[in-house]
Amino acid sequence: MSSGKIVSIHSFRGGTGKSNTTANIAAQVALAGKRVGVVDTDIQSPGIHVLFGLDETKMGKTLNDFLHGKCSIGEVAFNVGEKAADAEGRAKLSGTNLWLFPSSIRGREISQILREGYDVNLLNQGFQGMLKELNLDYLFIDTHPGLNEETLLSIAISDVLVIILRPDNQDFQGTAVTVDIARSLDVPNLLLMVNKALPKHDPKDIKKTIEDNFKATVAGVLPLSFDMAENASQDIFSLRYPDHEWSKALRGVADAILAIK
Amino acid sequence: MTENISNQLKTSFLFRGLPTETLDAVAQKVSTRKLTEGDVLMRKGETGDSLFMINEGWFKIVTQDAQGGELIINKTGPGETLGEMALLDEAPRSATVIALSDAKVLELKKDAFQEILDQRPDVALSLIRGFSSRLRFSTTYIEKAIDWSQKIAAGDYSFTENTQTIVNGGSTDDDKATQLLSAFFKMVKSVKAREDELKQVVEKLTLQIDEARRKQEFEEITGTDFYANLKEQARQLRAQRKASDEE
Repeated sequence: MSSGKIVSIHSFRGGTGKSNTTANIAAQVALAGKRVGVVDTDIQSPGIHVLFGLDETKMGKTLNDFLHGKCSIGEVAFNVGEKAADAEGRAKLSGTNLWLFPSSIRGREISQILREGYDVNLLNQGFQGMLKELNLDYLFIDTHPGLNEETLLSIAISDVLVIILRPDNQDFQGTAVTVDIARSLDVPNLLLMVNKALPKHDPKDIKKTIEDNFKATVAGVLPLSFDMAENASQDIFSLRYPDHEWSKALRGVADAILAIK
Repeated sequence: MTENISNQLKTSFLFRGLPTETLDAVAQKVSTRKLTEGDVLMRKGETGDSLFMINEGWFKIVTQDAQGGELIINKTGPGETLGEMALLDEAPRSATVIALSDAKVLELKKDAFQEILDQRPDVALSLIRGFSSRLRFSTTYIEKAIDWSQKIAAGDYSFTENTQTIVNGGSTDDDKATQLLSAFFKMVKSVKAREDELKQVVEKLTLQIDEARRKQEFEEITGTDFYANLKEQARQLRAQRKASDEE
């Protein structure tokens, strides 16, 4: 039998739209009939739960509980396909096999884990447990920006690494280091995704310039979008506005991930 | 017949100001010529010595494009005058005129016209008036076109905002300058629209990476024990998963 793929979504700096992109890609892959897990390893500043309509009142066990040995990884899984049909876009996920493994959003628990730390190996066991227990085809890891230990772990164990960057020199610099790290760790598949591209640039030019420099595939160039900002992470944008340019380009990235054997 | 010809002569700027009596005298000198489709009325480069007035049928005015192909500049029909300058100068025809259908034209030969000039000094005076007013009219438009050209060269399109769109005039000779300016104006508008569109995507992406910093950061991350362990763990994990996949 074939085990599922681990897909880490990373960006060197914050503000690239990483959580939003992760949620949208995961939703598209789930809609394609795959069994999908999404894990928020951005323990310091979790955010992806909002996109799946999960708030403090609905949130049960979290990744923090698992890392402190308080519960099994299966208990952390939040079934999005069953529970999160409260927004127009998300409603389309009803009946799909999509689970979220949230990080705690309680301030006390966040500060506790930052203070005490946790065993990075346990996190790895958690990932493997998620894949196995729910028989996932894909596990998407929403990483913390930068290259701290849990992010390096996520990258190291990934089958696919998607690096999100904006077309600016600060992001190019950070992405260059991340690309080098991914190659050093023998990550089998590396995809770049450009987000917040400005209309003054030609998307084809962006794609070519970046591909030439990094020798890696740019799976999509997504435009900077006020509509996206307006949505303010309240819903899965590509499900709510499927005909929007951003959504079309995003589906291209999801297709690129699905095409990886 | 003479009266019809006189009326038609009046539509040409050369004869516009002449009294009916004089026009009738000119009309006397006119002969009729019949053409069938495809006949060449005049050929570009040939020295012309006749003015033609189209009575019936249609003609195309053609020149050659850069590749030597036929380029139709215009089509013209009943009531229009062709080759009037040939009555005064010896310059070669500026375009070729070919009949598009069976046609009838009235022809006024240069020699016959010269005779009238000798006999009737008022014809010469009228011609001079016609030319000078036309020249003044054209000069105004040329000046305008020069002004616009200079502005466009400097990237200043503001005049398109404060200029009333010139209505494309009729087909009389005097309107030709207006037509030119109108076409020019339309051209500038579309050039501006294309330029605006291009400005949106014209900026090339520049990508700069500080390679020394890249190398240093890479070494800082990969130089730790954690990283060495991680690399080994990842290798083992991949091997395990590969093995379980093959089971």
